[in-house]
Amino acid sequence: MISSIGILTSWLLFLLLALVFITNNLLKINIYVRLIVFLNVCLFLLLEIGLFFDDFTVSYISNYSASTTPPLYKFASLWGALDGSILLWNLTLSLFMYFYLKNFKINTSNVDIKIYSSILFFFVGYTIFSSSPFAGCIEANEIGCNLSTLLPFQDLVSSQIGRGPNPLLQNHPLMAIHPPFLYIGYVGMSAPFVASVSRLVLKETSSEWVNVAQKLTFIPWLFLTIGISLGAVWSYEVLGWGGYWAWDPVENVSFIPWLLSTAFLHSAKVTKHNNSLLNWNYVLVGLMFLSTLFGTFITRSGVLISVHAFSNGTIGTYLLIGMLIFSLLFLYIGSINRRYFISSEKLKNKFGRSGFFIANNILLFSSAIVVFIGTIYPLFYETIFSRQITIGRNYFDVLVGPILLLLIFLMIFSIKLSIKNINLKKLYEDNIIFINSSLLISIIFLMLFNRSFNLVVTISISFILISLITLNIIKNFNKKGNSSYWAGQIAHLGLGVLAIGIILNFTQSFSQEIEINSFDNFIFSENNYQIYDIVQENLPEKTELKLPISNGKITKFTSLNIFNNSSQQAISSPAIFRNLIKDSYISIKSINNNTFKLIVRENFGISIIWIGLFITSTSFLPKLKLRK
Amino acid sequence: MKSKKFSLILIIILIFLSFYKISNESRFEKWSKILLCPVCQGEVIYDSPSEYASDMKDILQEQIKTGYTDEQIYNFWVTRYGERIVTDNIARNFEIILIPIAIISIFIIIFLRKINAKK
Repeated sequence: MISSIGILTSWLLFLLLALVFITNNLLKINIYVRLIVFLNVCLFLLLEIGLFFDDFTVSYISNYSASTTPPLYKFASLWGALDGSILLWNLTLSLFMYFYLKNFKINTSNVDIKIYSSILFFFVGYTIFSSSPFAGCIEANEIGCNLSTLLPFQDLVSSQIGRGPNPLLQNHPLMAIHPPFLYIGYVGMSAPFVASVSRLVLKETSSEWVNVAQKLTFIPWLFLTIGISLGAVWSYEVLGWGGYWAWDPVENVSFIPWLLSTAFLHSAKVTKHNNSLLNWNYVLVGLMFLSTLFGTFITRSGVLISVHAFSNGTIGTYLLIGMLIFSLLFLYIGSINRRYFISSEKLKNKFGRSGFFIANNILLFSSAIVVFIGTIYPLFYETIFSRQITIGRNYFDVLVGPILLLLIFLMIFSIKLSIKNINLKKLYEDNIIFINSSLLISIIFLMLFNRSFNLVVTISISFILISLITLNIIKNFNKKGNSSYWAGQIAHLGLGVLAIGIILNFTQSFSQEIEINSFDNFIFSENNYQIYDIVQENLPEKTELKLPISNGKITKFTSLNIFNNSSQQAISSPAIFRNLIKDSYISIKSINNNTFKLIVRENFGISIIWIGLFITSTSFLPKLKLRK
Repeated sequence: MKSKKFSLILIIILIFLSFYKISNESRFEKWSKILLCPVCQGEVIYDSPSEYASDMKDILQEQIKTGYTDEQIYNFWVTRYGERIVTDNIARNFEIILIPIAIISIFIIIFLRKINAKK
């Protein structure tokens, strides 16, 4: 039943999108777009209903949910695997389309909404022709579904038990919220793309499109920032390996659009001011969107191995075709506007605001290049040499690290960037007290740690950045500047804090393996930890072995979670004793009768990292306050 | 606090501090952050809580105790698992660093020429 309704609704949606594409009546377009949003909501709710009623005749539900799955994770199962996540993707895309139609539509033409509908058309087409979350099950196993059909009204069979979500995905509520944030970020990158390409189709001669695209980029940028941050939190709190970022391909492909959109948010300001960099902004807007398609392709097609990748045979080719079509559109529109791009003004004042933004763009774009190459190089290597190679953290640390440090350094000047060339001497003399005290505090602070070159440089630069921006905010927030300037200042402040956390974590953390029996205690990094006896908890979906650990003040649990119906290994959840500077992070490695092998880590800077990411994520606040 | 000399002194102290390096990373730690756990999804054995990684760590620990050189450790693991076991390729496959640097240089040259181009 649900399967047939879902498939038919998808067809209807597909038809409506085609109608948007052919009609030219704005009133009709308005109605169709609303209907498209409505149908996407319906599809979303329909699959949720199926998940909650355990309708195992739907192949997706029997493969990625189970009757024993707790309600929150049933809800989140919708985006727990590829086919369902496309549904959330389409819903978000239709909402962005509606938002665009309401606020940014071109008055004289419908070409923008047509381009938008063709993007959605493409993704809805995938659920119809390639693989649908509503595909009915025609050959069931005892657990899960083996074979499914994309046609409605077939004789469907139901598996007895659902397979349940991937164990990693049902271990922490953060899993339920981190992907939707990322999706909004990804999908939202379509809006600036459509806005620019469609305005240039009409051979726009002003730089108004940059303005519109910039407004449309901030929301997806913000969601991407929050999504990546939550992903880092999830990785640290749940996965039990003690880190927050692994340069895993899926993390990388979310970082690339972030770097590009951050670059664009800066370079758009240069264009707004003096009509230069037109071509460059067009390149950035295009790559922002194409990189999200590329990211989906890389992670969903099974070409790479990663914690996040869920592979599926057909989507790779499908996405490649999409990437090709939209790239060609982008290039074609670019080429017919060559004359316009050449009219771009020459840059003045290389050490003024524009110059700094250019440096920022060069650095951000270079990082994107590094991350991109690091992600796809193993694929090339294997194709050419028929041997496998792994690109590890070292590559990224060596190349991206210094670039990001340079960016942090440049942010110091963001407190006072005038159009004219910057007066370094004056900037220094005006702030000498704060610069000196930041340096002094850095020295005292550094005495507490194992010092190395990268630690010293990062800490001193970040301290100067933080103190100058804080001072700037306290002194001038109500006096001058526009909302995007203050959004930038808050984002920079957060990134300064983040840099301190990252460098502490990078240079100071260490770990140890400990073998211990119940009721014993051990000393790690000057703390005494007492172990008690293991507690077994049987939940419907999993068995949890919880080991209580006390540090003398509080008792926390580290646990091994063994999920039913899953072939995967047990998942270890850490006990984390938090502190501003360092966490003690204890996870179980293995249990043998009453002997436990524990991995104990001293993780530095994690709380600081969270604070930094939080501050950066609040950079939208000035936009709310100063909107009037 | 307001004097430039004071800034200079502080910077000199900072430079001095940055050369004063105490490394607490053992060879074991270094290698366990380099070797990939072949049965895990993209994790090094240092990070992985799996049994397989654990066994690998035991072997590695033994090798370091016996006094294997870095070259011997490298050869041991690569002959068994292939090149992909080693995640730190920068020294051996130097092109990995050169390719992005070359592309970035080309990008910067084109970029700067374009934005300074005359009408």
